[in-house]
Amino acid sequence: MWKLAQAYSASFEEKLKGITFSMQDFLFFSLRAFRAIGASKRYWRDVLDQAYICGTESLPILLVSALSIGSLIVIEVGHQLAEFGAKTMTGRSVALSVVREISPLVAGLMLAARIGARNSSELGAMQISEQIDALRAFGTDPIAKLVVPRLVASFLMFIPLIALCDLVGLISGAYLAEWDLHLDRGIYWNSVIDILRPMDWLVGFSKPPVFAIGISLISCYTGFSTTGGTAGVGKSTIKGIVYSSAFVLVMNFYLSKVILDLMRG
Amino acid sequence: MIELRNVSLRYGAREILKNVSLTIEDKKVKAILGPSGVGKSTIIKLMLGLIKPTSGQVLVDDVDITHFSEVELFPIRQKMGIVFQGNALFDSMTITENMSFFLRENLNLPENEIVARVQEQMKFAGLEGFENNLPDSLSGGMRKRVAIGRALIFHPSMILFDEPTAGLDPVSSKKILDLIKRLQSEIGLGAVIVTHILSDVFAVADSVAVLYQGGIIFNDVPQKLYDSTHSFITSFLSNPED
Repeated sequence: MWKLAQAYSASFEEKLKGITFSMQDFLFFSLRAFRAIGASKRYWRDVLDQAYICGTESLPILLVSALSIGSLIVIEVGHQLAEFGAKTMTGRSVALSVVREISPLVAGLMLAARIGARNSSELGAMQISEQIDALRAFGTDPIAKLVVPRLVASFLMFIPLIALCDLVGLISGAYLAEWDLHLDRGIYWNSVIDILRPMDWLVGFSKPPVFAIGISLISCYTGFSTTGGTAGVGKSTIKGIVYSSAFVLVMNFYLSKVILDLMRG
Repeated sequence: MIELRNVSLRYGAREILKNVSLTIEDKKVKAILGPSGVGKSTIIKLMLGLIKPTSGQVLVDDVDITHFSEVELFPIRQKMGIVFQGNALFDSMTITENMSFFLRENLNLPENEIVARVQEQMKFAGLEGFENNLPDSLSGGMRKRVAIGRALIFHPSMILFDEPTAGLDPVSSKKILDLIKRLQSEIGLGAVIVTHILSDVFAVADSVAVLYQGGIIFNDVPQKLYDSTHSFITSFLSNPED
């Protein structure tokens, strides 16, 4: 029994060491990426390529998600409000939920899956085929060439993407409210405009840059630290998606909490 | 000249290299022979500064590069070309782009000079006519020749080969070994060849070091391998394909 406890303790200690080492390694990796940010000028073509992949190619799935966000809130909240004779308040509920929370969160999760998977698998495949070592061996900084364009492109694209999600979410809410609740669109939009304050936009738009940085760095790091052949690429891809999604969920809560607390004094 | 002095390398509890000392002379071909997974490829990555030893020193032309930063390592790495085991070519670039990429990245050369250098390597590697092909459309032997051409693009004085004939058919293997011999005889390049194939060693190497269980157990001309009484070497010589 004592030996078993010792074995568990040793294994736990090793795991803890491994996690600490990975965290430290990730921190250094992130610092190197920020220090190399000036390379985005040199690799502007790569930045444009990544912006296209991150922006244009992600658009269809984001728009589908945004359509369901607005519609679902109307279905769930609008009917509750209608029971109390307050269906004219539907626009307010949709506006606050979409702009502050649901749109950044859902879009963040979608981008974590899409961009996270792409970065982890692509860079992981480059790592196991020694292409990243080749870059270093021939004098090119792989972080400047591969990570910085992805980081900058995500940073530039996430805000317009999430703004578009907000808009599509609100529009889909308006149509569903008219169709399902027989709520006049003018009343809906009046309540939307009436309730939204600069603070709400600030909460909503503070999230995309943080998500962009977190998702890019986490997924690039998992790609760069791939080992173990093709099975390793699979594991890195899973890690890239899971850690990026967890980051989005956690940061979404903390950003809302901190900014709203600060604004409310 | 490249020199490893008492180099050891550990990954966690696993000791990959133990007090390895090795010298690679200019214009000579040195083979590093050993079974798979013994740390042979690690040695050439140490020579390029791609990984740092746990202890010991790596010297290139008598300069200790062990603790050099990436920026400090660049002029050192320009003296050495490397051909990776899987070639490490960029899939989305043509053969010409694969060869010219690092020239454009790192040297401020005029376009006509870049084109001339690429054509020179295409000709040397026998790749004329394949300039606009993607790596995936070439055979294994041709991809290896592209990797050799790319390794020569900075006009290095030493070239490092990681398993240059692994996975190739006998005809392609012979072509690659001939190319390695020409590098020495026509251009006067030194080379390090990491391999587990004994016939490659006898085909091209001036000297051979045998790596076994993290240490060098033999370091002499290939013919003297037959005089060795070490159990691993005698077993390797009697079953060279193992």
